[in-house]
Amino acid sequence: MPQLEQVEFFISQLFWLGVFFVVLFSVLTYITLPKIRAFLNKRDDFVKSHISKQDDLIKKAESIIENYETKLNEAKNEASKIISDAKDKAMQDSESLIKSAEEKIQQEIKMTEERVTKEKDLAISDLKNQLKDSATNFISKVTKIEKGNIKI
Amino acid sequence: MAKGESPLKQFEIQPIVDIKFLGFDISFTNSALWMTITTAFILIFFTVPFLKAKKTNSVSDLYPTRMQVAAELGFNFINSLLADTVGKEGKKYFPLVFTLFMFILFGNLFGMIPYSFTFTSHIIVTLALAMGVFIFVTVLGFVKHGVKFFSFFVIPGLPIYMLPLLIPIEIISYLSRPISLSVRLFANMLAGHTLLKVFAGFVSALGFFGILPLVFIIALTGLEILIAFLQAYVFAILTCLYINDALHLH
Repeated sequence: MPQLEQVEFFISQLFWLGVFFVVLFSVLTYITLPKIRAFLNKRDDFVKSHISKQDDLIKKAESIIENYETKLNEAKNEASKIISDAKDKAMQDSESLIKSAEEKIQQEIKMTEERVTKEKDLAISDLKNQLKDSATNFISKVTKIEKGNIKI
Repeated sequence: MAKGESPLKQFEIQPIVDIKFLGFDISFTNSALWMTITTAFILIFFTVPFLKAKKTNSVSDLYPTRMQVAAELGFNFINSLLADTVGKEGKKYFPLVFTLFMFILFGNLFGMIPYSFTFTSHIIVTLALAMGVFIFVTVLGFVKHGVKFFSFFVIPGLPIYMLPLLIPIEIISYLSRPISLSVRLFANMLAGHTLLKVFAGFVSALGFFGILPLVFIIALTGLEILIAFLQAYVFAILTCLYINDALHLH
């Protein structure tokens, strides 16, 4: 078996094993492995930061939804208030309109009544004057007294 | 391979460049060549995808490229392995376990390439790795717990009269850790590659009917790739468990 027979190469094998193992160990320890670790850490940090960012965004979205809901409720309340106000106002308007119309009608009735009585009076006094004239004419013609001297 | 060649010939070490240093033979061999390839591959595979990492902070930089995903897979695999066995304190030992796992894994996998060389099939290499782990873990235990580390050999809740029997057993089992750790990896690699080579010999020996062992070799290659991964995994997870023992004793 060459492994046990070639004793003359034991020292050479040990020497080169030592050399290459030490070279490999030192390069891996001081250059390669820190590089790999840094790379992996960088990625882990990135993922972690994104997860925390995501949490923040979820919180933000929740607060936005809450805000939206309160605003929506406010708007609804306001709208119902405006509607009831408008209804009240419309009712009041129509009532006052009816009232003023009634008032106008009554005024017109009054005015018409007044006119009617005035015309009635005028007609009566006209009739009286005509009667007077015709009476004085008749008297002056019968009595030959001048019209100016007749008094009725 | 030519007929009549030993299936063990693939494990022979061939020097490529003869180097002598202070009387020691530290020739650059085929074993060292495949260690070079493994090391270079691991470094390129895990470093290059992250070199172009842009400095900007735009989202598109965070999408990993295909090569980055592949490298991350290995990174996360060892990361979760350590987290499961040792826990949070295990993070400090991540580079060690990562290096061990990747070095053994790609050593095993490159060994599956025909005409390549599997350096993990050599007991001296696996024993050196296992002894390294053993010494590291023992020193770690003494650094963390001082003399209290010896209480590791005392199983809690045991009657005192059993201790003289069990403490030696515990010590022996502790000391045999590097041997079991190294022999497991070495024997798996040795057996798998030898079996493949033996059946490859059958293919050429049987002529037309060599198609049958060929089919078997194809299936066996799949199994060997699984074992290559599994043995690296076992080595890494046992290292994690030993670290856990050293940190938490019982």
